[in-house]
Amino acid sequence: MIRLLKIDYKKIRGSKVFWILTGLYALLIVLFFFGMQGFLDDMAEEANTKSPIPLPGVSAYSLPDIWHNLTYIAGYFKMFIGVVIIIFITNEYSYKTIRQNVISGFSRWDFLKSKFLMIGMISLAATVLVFIIGVILGLLHTEDVTMAKLFGKTEFLLAYFLEMYAFLILAFLVGMLVKRSGFAIGLLLLYFYIVEPVGRYYLPDYIGDYLPKKAIGSMIDIPNTPIMRLLGVQFQDYISIWDVALVLGYVGLFGYLSYLIIKKRDL
Amino acid sequence: MEETVLSIRELTKNYGRIKAVDNLSLDVKRGNVFGILGPNGSGKTTTLGIVLSVINSNGGSFSWFGKEPSKNDRKAIGAILEVPIFYPYLSGEKNLEIIADIKACSYEKIPEVLEIVDLTARKKSKFRTYSLGMKQRLAIAAALVGEPEVLILDEPTNGLDPQGIAEIRELILEIAKRGITIILASHLLDEVQKICSHVIVLDKGKDIFTGKVSEIVNASTLVEISAEDMSSLKKKLEENENVLSSEEEGNLVLVKLKDGYGIKDLNQQLISLNITITHLSVRKKSLENYFLELMAEK
Repeated sequence: MIRLLKIDYKKIRGSKVFWILTGLYALLIVLFFFGMQGFLDDMAEEANTKSPIPLPGVSAYSLPDIWHNLTYIAGYFKMFIGVVIIIFITNEYSYKTIRQNVISGFSRWDFLKSKFLMIGMISLAATVLVFIIGVILGLLHTEDVTMAKLFGKTEFLLAYFLEMYAFLILAFLVGMLVKRSGFAIGLLLLYFYIVEPVGRYYLPDYIGDYLPKKAIGSMIDIPNTPIMRLLGVQFQDYISIWDVALVLGYVGLFGYLSYLIIKKRDL
Repeated sequence: MEETVLSIRELTKNYGRIKAVDNLSLDVKRGNVFGILGPNGSGKTTTLGIVLSVINSNGGSFSWFGKEPSKNDRKAIGAILEVPIFYPYLSGEKNLEIIADIKACSYEKIPEVLEIVDLTARKKSKFRTYSLGMKQRLAIAAALVGEPEVLILDEPTNGLDPQGIAEIRELILEIAKRGITIILASHLLDEVQKICSHVIVLDKGKDIFTGKVSEIVNASTLVEISAEDMSSLKKKLEENENVLSSEEEGNLVLVKLKDGYGIKDLNQQLISLNITITHLSVRKKSLENYFLELMAEK
């Protein structure tokens, strides 16, 4: 296992494209998270000048709710890493290195395992990034920090890890399927931002709610804010085990489909 | 008895209605330098792809070292198919490390194989900066990394200049001397003739000749003759029972001789018949002609 991971790490370590794209992603996340409160404050002020009743402000950084807030928002940036994954798997096809890997002594399953492990490590790194930012911002903006507050709601981090992993395995599958990076990225964007949203509009909820994007995205629901409470809206503020099970099912399905593709195909 | 390294039985691969490999069987023994000869599209690379488990066959079987195929066989095989394949953004050395990692062998051999192919000075350069000759040499280095028992080379001199070709051929002969079994696919008769001990000739995925290289070379030899009196030369040649065929080409007559009847015998006979020869030389037929002949015989 470690050997497979080491091999894949060697492949990406020397790649400028990988470090530039992931570095950009990390920078984006950090800037967004640190600047977010100022943005929310401005919005609240703006809204208050127009509102007949005083609206309560929103504190995004207070522990333990910060875990829910940050993981929810970080979910919107995952497409960025999905693109990185697609580039890396389609490169293996366009350089034909997947073929040479098998010729050199990988089984097809070894190749797949090394990729699944690397995707796991990337998901973990993304989760750790959110965790570190959360600890810093949480400690700075929370009064009377206790262990219970700091580590309360960290199940949202686990859910975020799973969200990232499931999404990246889907991106990987799309890359495997079409082999060409531009086409694969286009297909993933098309499905995520047009096909599934439009499809859900026409489909009944009992089908629409179980589509991949919806399933992966709704493990972590929209965080409740005092404004929403005023409006009488209540979102799910916990992680449902059924949502997790559904996403795990998708991980298994995407992984299995990738396996079928690599097994049946001439490399 | 010689140990069989690779055995192929009734292998078939279809691409739609086209048969890329058609009911092919062959055996490669330990220590052979085995040539797979055929024009482009004759199924050489497809056959090698199947025995290296990157292409799925539609029928037949193969075995390495007398066992069912597994990834561990491939760790004992050094192979390159078609063009050298490496990660372009990594250095030559890093690329070799990845191959060593996949084969689960140590990096100890890497400096040695880089030295063999004369790439030590450029080992830190990215692969994409290499010239074609350097890429081909790195591919041979990669094939040698795991101390292979078998080396598979597919058109190893393709696209190289004459000096590069000579270097690579010398290198292959050097490797063969160490007792490593070599399987070489090529469309060049000359290359197979210079390097290989055994050969299979493929056309449209079919085996049209299997045997020792010396046999194919004899069968493809033509003798060029011209004389002052061309008409009596032609007449005498037609009467000679050791001459299988003769045809005119410009001011030369091209003659194919029976096995065992050499150019010396022909010369002596013509002299005794009072024919003065002005030109006599041996010409190796072009591979294309030879293939046409083999196919016509089938």
